[in-house]
Amino acid sequence: MTDGLVRILEGNTFVVSDKRGDIEASATDPTGLFSFDTRFLSKWVLTVNGQRLNALSTDDLHYFEARFFLVPGTGTVYVDAKLSVIRVRAVGDGFHEELSILNHENKPVELQVRIDASSDFADLFEVKDALKKKGTYRNRIESGRLVLGYQRETYERATLISATKPAEIDENGLVFKVRIEPHGQWMTELHVVTDMGALEAALPDTRGRPSMARGLQKWIGKAPQLESSAESLKTTYQRSIVDLAALRFSPALAAGDSLPAAGLPWFMTMFGRDSIFTSLQALPFMPELAATTLRVLGTWQGSRVDDFRDEDPGRILHEMRYGEMTAFEERPHSPYYGSADATPLYVVLMDEYERWTGDSKLVRDFEPQARAALNWIGEYADLQRNGYLSYQRRNEETGLENQCWKDSWDSVSYHDGTLPGFPRATCELQGYAYDAKVRGARLARHFWRAPEFADKLEKEAAHLKRRFNRDFWVEDHGYFAVALDTDGRQVDSLTSNIGHLLWSGIVEKSKARSVVRHLMSARLFSGWGVRTLAEGEGRYNPIGYHVGTVWPFDNSIIAWGLRKYGFKDEAARVAEGILGAAQYFDGCLPEAFGGYPRQMTKYPVQYPTACSPQAWSTGAPLLLLRAILGLEPVGDNLVVDPALPISVGWLELLDIPGRWGRIDAFGRGRVDTSFRYHGQRVVATEPELAGREAAGRLIRQRTSRPADQA
Amino acid sequence: METATDPVGEFFRGLAGRGREPLLANVSGTLRFDLIDEEAVEHWYLTVKNGDVAVSRSDAEADAVVRTVKVVFEGMTAGKVNAMAAALRGALVPRGNLALVVSFQRLFPGPAVSRAKAGPGSGGRSTR
Repeated sequence: MTDGLVRILEGNTFVVSDKRGDIEASATDPTGLFSFDTRFLSKWVLTVNGQRLNALSTDDLHYFEARFFLVPGTGTVYVDAKLSVIRVRAVGDGFHEELSILNHENKPVELQVRIDASSDFADLFEVKDALKKKGTYRNRIESGRLVLGYQRETYERATLISATKPAEIDENGLVFKVRIEPHGQWMTELHVVTDMGALEAALPDTRGRPSMARGLQKWIGKAPQLESSAESLKTTYQRSIVDLAALRFSPALAAGDSLPAAGLPWFMTMFGRDSIFTSLQALPFMPELAATTLRVLGTWQGSRVDDFRDEDPGRILHEMRYGEMTAFEERPHSPYYGSADATPLYVVLMDEYERWTGDSKLVRDFEPQARAALNWIGEYADLQRNGYLSYQRRNEETGLENQCWKDSWDSVSYHDGTLPGFPRATCELQGYAYDAKVRGARLARHFWRAPEFADKLEKEAAHLKRRFNRDFWVEDHGYFAVALDTDGRQVDSLTSNIGHLLWSGIVEKSKARSVVRHLMSARLFSGWGVRTLAEGEGRYNPIGYHVGTVWPFDNSIIAWGLRKYGFKDEAARVAEGILGAAQYFDGCLPEAFGGYPRQMTKYPVQYPTACSPQAWSTGAPLLLLRAILGLEPVGDNLVVDPALPISVGWLELLDIPGRWGRIDAFGRGRVDTSFRYHGQRVVATEPELAGREAAGRLIRQRTSRPADQA
Repeated sequence: METATDPVGEFFRGLAGRGREPLLANVSGTLRFDLIDEEAVEHWYLTVKNGDVAVSRSDAEADAVVRTVKVVFEGMTAGKVNAMAAALRGALVPRGNLALVVSFQRLFPGPAVSRAKAGPGSGGRSTR
């Protein structure tokens, strides 16, 4: 980690410390032990004879485990250190720490080893906004443990701290009086357990579960294997698989199954949009993530009109939080429903999931949810009664203003930089709605025995497509406007959103070539990827969150969209850029990086506060692999139609799970993704835009090994 | 406290009487509500079978059990208390099959203010 912090996590419990393993959080500092959006330790400082320690080295053993090698003293003395201190820390119902001290001298030593501990029990929202607490603290010593407690009415949280060696315990920590023989060693285990008060009864008992290391090995073993002449691609792939394991989140009601949380450290919770996109990206690799996402989001589907939570019947949740401010309804996240895209995307994921896995049972079981989601689009989300999905928050204090994936305040603008009012009908939402109707129709016809409903959905989809291609098309420039404003006027800036339209299939064939030309133009394509907003737009800023940076997730969807319309070489070019950028981040793509031209910076410039790992960035290389290998389920077969960048050399993806059992895919690099440069501007080679049909389709099937998927 | 009306009884009897509940169409299982009313505990036992709900006053073991103060439960049936927020506060304690509890809380109405703004015939939309 570039910020010098060490992070380990398991589910929604995580520890962020400095390189020594110490935690000294200030009100706004994101270090500590966090669980269920609450900080359970804000101070955890080790001293030996009153001295702080120095880090010699820190190893991330696994995502849930870290080891700190320390010596006493400051700065320059460690050459002469007579003691070594080793902390091995693993997360799980709080955390467990093995503290060992080695005496390197020929004589015994007497040491006073102290751990200072305290907790502010801050809600994550308070950590972000530096708010004051309303409850009372009570630290106490109880049956040999130090208990840090916090209470506000019926809300109770506590941190229980104990050690396996005798300690003197006071309200601020534990002291060990230690004598170590010459060249001897002393060790204690420290247990830090989080307590959720009355809610503990609801939480699954995690004692005796299989070890996390074994769980991780099993997870990695289940994923397809990737072989390639490109070492960096292998690294990126391995990193994605392991980071996805780390980002798994098991909500209490999923009976041990997991879905992707959004990201560390602020976003280790369910997000409708992020969980759905990541599940889509990971479908060819870990289809079980999609199954859990569909079940859990379906169970939480909105059922009533609640302005505080921006909830409507049929709406899929945006974000769930478990902290104190949510508990006392100072924040609406119990859960909050203010997302305009999660609901249509829910139907999209359900259909794509069935096409890969053949799990028709889930599609039948969750028919009511899928129908309610489809109903929401027309019944609750057509705010302007013009046939377009738009959003405007009803919770004006703590609700989200922008309910699409580009959720920052200035993400949707006219060419001149001015901002439209609300409601806003952004273009990609219409694409998602279209795709949801088309896919919903397939589900209705094949699984719900509802041919009339299927006809109705298909008619609505065709109508939407026709109107959309008329109303959103910016005739003078040949691309789709990013949104329609409240007067039905086009919000005319050029954005990456048009790539999502290809993925959704809402673009008329005759317009696709022009859209692709814009996506691959120097204004949008930086050489690393497609920028969120094009150079030359009023608000363009290469390090502006949604107004010029390149988002790996965004690009993975765009690459999939390019493939859908037959633009294989362009998909390969986008994939080459993003996978090339991944090398500079050791295979762990950040949320976003700078939109500077590739030729100018030579390496991708990380966006200042992007969080990492983040689920849909972690999933991006997976979807890009799907795009360049041209993996597409057709009936009970998997079609493989590779178009790899030359830089990849050769690539094998073995044991791709699905309704076909397990299948291998192979490909050789043939797409030239090099660029011509003019000064500092990148000019992508003009796409060859023929109405190419997939040539040389390859269908491979191997049924000797059944897929793990039900 | 005796009141002229019995919102909890009305809520449960209404569930049993209305036939197949669409929001529970793909839900089956048993749920018990233990409602604490001063010294006494009221039990309501629900058997849900694909949306059909049978209600009794048994205290038998169930797939999921929800324990709360009766006033809090009344608040939920009136759209004044959000079940998830109450659970996070420790004012409502669920155990057992939580998916059942989450499915069930969808039956509680939203806040009266939101419902009034949405108004009849607007498809639930708030007027603005």
